[in-house]
Amino acid sequence: MSILANKDTRAVIIGGVAGVNAAKRMAQFDFLVNRPLTVQAFVYPPEAGQQKEIFRGGELKNVTVYDSLAPALEEHPDINTALIYLGASRAAQAAKEALESPNIQLVSMITEGVPEKDAKRLRKLAQKLGKMLNGPSSIGIMSAGECRLGVIGGEFKNLKLCNLYRQGSFGVLTKSGGLSNEAMWLCAQNGDGITSAVAIGGDAYPGTDFVTYLEMFEKDPATKAVVMIGEVGGNLEEEAAEWLAAEPRRIKLIAAIGGTCQEVLPQGMKFGHAGAKEGKKGAGSARSKMNALRDAGAYVPDTFGGLSKEIKKVYEELIAAGEISTEIDEAVLPELPPSVQEVMKQGEVIVEPLIRTTISDDRGEEPRYAGYAASELCSKGYGIEDVIGLLWNKKLPTREESEIIKRIVMISADHGPAVSGAFGSILAACAGIDMPQAVSAGMTMIGPRFGGAVTNAGKYFKMAVEDYPNDIPGFLSWMKKNVGPVPGIGHRVKSVKNPDQRVKYLVSYIKNETSLHTPCLDYALEVEKVTTAKKGNLILNVDGTIGCILMDLDFPVHSLNGFFVLARTIGMIGHWIDQNNQNSRLIRLYDYLINYAVKPEQEVPEKK
Amino acid sequence: MAKILEGPAMKLFNKWGIPVPNYVVIMDPDRLAQLGEANKWLRESKLVVKAHEAIGGRFKLGLVKIGLNLEQAIEAAKEMLGAKVGTAEIGQVIIAEMLEHDAEFYVSIIGNKDGAELLISKHGGVDIEDNWDSVRRIQIELDENPTIERLTELAKDAGFEGEIAERVGKICSRLILCFDNEDAQSIEINPLVIRKSDMRFAALDAVMNVDYDARFRHADWDFKPVSEIGRPFTEAEQQIMEIDSRIKGSVKFVEVPGGEIALLTAGGGASVFYADAVVARGGTIANYAEYSGDPADWAVEALTETICRLPNIKHIIVGGAIANFTDVKATFSGIINGFRESKSKGYLEGVKIWVRRGGPNEAQGLAAIKQLQEEGFDIHVYDRSMPMTDIVDMAMKS
Repeated sequence: MSILANKDTRAVIIGGVAGVNAAKRMAQFDFLVNRPLTVQAFVYPPEAGQQKEIFRGGELKNVTVYDSLAPALEEHPDINTALIYLGASRAAQAAKEALESPNIQLVSMITEGVPEKDAKRLRKLAQKLGKMLNGPSSIGIMSAGECRLGVIGGEFKNLKLCNLYRQGSFGVLTKSGGLSNEAMWLCAQNGDGITSAVAIGGDAYPGTDFVTYLEMFEKDPATKAVVMIGEVGGNLEEEAAEWLAAEPRRIKLIAAIGGTCQEVLPQGMKFGHAGAKEGKKGAGSARSKMNALRDAGAYVPDTFGGLSKEIKKVYEELIAAGEISTEIDEAVLPELPPSVQEVMKQGEVIVEPLIRTTISDDRGEEPRYAGYAASELCSKGYGIEDVIGLLWNKKLPTREESEIIKRIVMISADHGPAVSGAFGSILAACAGIDMPQAVSAGMTMIGPRFGGAVTNAGKYFKMAVEDYPNDIPGFLSWMKKNVGPVPGIGHRVKSVKNPDQRVKYLVSYIKNETSLHTPCLDYALEVEKVTTAKKGNLILNVDGTIGCILMDLDFPVHSLNGFFVLARTIGMIGHWIDQNNQNSRLIRLYDYLINYAVKPEQEVPEKK
Repeated sequence: MAKILEGPAMKLFNKWGIPVPNYVVIMDPDRLAQLGEANKWLRESKLVVKAHEAIGGRFKLGLVKIGLNLEQAIEAAKEMLGAKVGTAEIGQVIIAEMLEHDAEFYVSIIGNKDGAELLISKHGGVDIEDNWDSVRRIQIELDENPTIERLTELAKDAGFEGEIAERVGKICSRLILCFDNEDAQSIEINPLVIRKSDMRFAALDAVMNVDYDARFRHADWDFKPVSEIGRPFTEAEQQIMEIDSRIKGSVKFVEVPGGEIALLTAGGGASVFYADAVVARGGTIANYAEYSGDPADWAVEALTETICRLPNIKHIIVGGAIANFTDVKATFSGIINGFRESKSKGYLEGVKIWVRRGGPNEAQGLAAIKQLQEEGFDIHVYDRSMPMTDIVDMAMKS
């Protein structure tokens, strides 16, 4: 037997993430005692319509989230219990609705920090409706072998250690979550375990009091004794003492009361629980509570440390009186199926990875780029050019190299609105498209005719250096035969007479201000001499220059176009922002810009 | 419970029509001079100047000055502002009109589980203690407001007569409104005074506690609760409170000067039993502390460092029950870091550390903290099989 929760308990959880986590813990208990899922539904409007995945052992169950209580109860008529996991500002309203729902008999509030007035109103409402309100600030309710409401009982291992898979003879009542666990552990260690444990919450005005539950335990034939853990403040413990003394009781009461230290502490000192607040001697003090309980016939140790002995003593008395049988049916308990992660950690299974990565790792406190912590790079003065080196080439560039990379990015960042990439972004911006899509519209323009020659230029000049050293005619004829025009050579508007200043600057910077060894660039410049002799605009263009320099910097050939993509993204974002700032109108091509080279008007023939 | 200072309490009284004397709260004496130019009462009434801080026994400490004119009040304010009292510095003073009056009454309202109880007496001020049997009381059920007639009747029952009884009834009615609408937990007005010449009433001194958990529905609450331990919060206490206000879970810390045993305990219920165990064995605690609700490890680390800095401690009790969902491994990693950091800064010299804990990942957490032994810490680690507070006994006997 149990109180409050049993095999027939079916619950709805009102609340978000914390509620789902509780449901997962509850499902572990369901699995341990082989009962169906306790949680049947969630109510949480922001996630209405979703399914939450809950494992009951190895079985995956889906529990629906509803936007309000009514449809949840309609679809799950078995629900008789509600657990409130909402924040303090919304919890009271949810608890009220739950109490007012005809099928729900028990509402347990986990929420902490519920205003006292709200808690008092709920208590009054519950009394009026003849329902049970547990909490607020309750860790939950545990009925050994039958039902777990909330995270009470802790992790799976602890459920077994505290014998919570089967019924014992002790009831547990506490105000505190941690101590309910401790008390259940003490009952398992010094006795035969518990029937039910209820954490009523540490607030000043909880929905129910100790006496309510003592009455229930008294009526439960399986409960032979109750371990009650009280504390300074309020008068729930005095009420319990009065109840105990009022008539002969079948159950025994063992009680520990916290807060005697207050006798020597500064007056008014506040403890963790809102209810534990009175600093006065006399009524409400821990000492007076202990005395009242002792006078009423309870077993009250001086300190918490003495609780074990009292429980043991009572257990032995109950055995001696024949109230408890010492025969215990030790069931074979299931093991919670381990997750893949756990099994892997034990080294008992090998999983082939799905992808492999070699550049960065975000599993620690912060991302590491090729092993270097991002914040450390920042704090030691490294720049974005060094991050490019790490993520694209897995190498930290030298200072000279990073200065070159920085210049390449700066020089390629933008080239006006007329080129196809910028125009694509502008067109999209004018059509009201959001930034990422507009920028990617410009990005799709990058190809062999616009900015996409960097990779191939680098690739073929590198090949030339290796296969055609000192043989430019041989290289050019191979290219003509196998590739076509040399990537990186030629410009639409620039020529020998009208040189590209970006190319001139880069070449001069590298030659005059760095010590970079530049076989590719040198080769390309020699090629340029040959090609410009044929035609003035067959100059080494910016793509070609960058491609050669990057090969000379030893970047992987696949990364080369990336420099243009990265750099030009800066410009495209700029164009998008610019167009939006100006509130640009939609672009539509004028008729006179189009040659309508179509057939003249003709009648549509009848469809055959 | 959240105690608030007189200034904010008076403001709430004003809002609900409970008569109060004229008053101002200032942080700068020059401001008082300016206010004096604009407010006739400051120039024409006798004034009371009080340190506006949560300091117990202000009168004895010379932090209340009475019967002053404006110039004297400015002088008194200058003297008080910036003065150090123990660990506290006085940052604000309240200047109120001193009312000549004919009688002092007592009115209070205290929350209880069914609503609240209203108490009144004709013998207010310092006499109330000796005349407690003159107090008349009435239970006010939740969400039910007694009529003014009923309250007037109560006043008459307490010995008030005629118009005064009616006025006291009315004031009580407004007090109930204030109590109810402001999510108060207790209000004590002592004394409520009357000047019979013009039938002027005023609440001369008031102690008010509000339910700070209800602050989400009081957009006009511009105050923070003050310390209830007879002294303002220390810097370390304020730091931990600040952390507490922005994390999931909680960390709490109160200093108790002179103690030798520092508590680094978990759980609202268990932490009290650890403090009890120290006191029961004749020890002295250096603090009360608590972390719960699976707080972030950095928050526990900050709490640990604060505790390690407590002066003259001989033992640190890292205690707790068997946690439901607070991750022992994670929170202990914060404690371990805090210990290491503190030791590197020269704290923990000759301090013994005693650990007892259970809960999620307890084996890993306990193993990790036990490693500190190899780093030269005087640390003793026990698992759930050690009765919860027995580490206190072991510390005291060592």
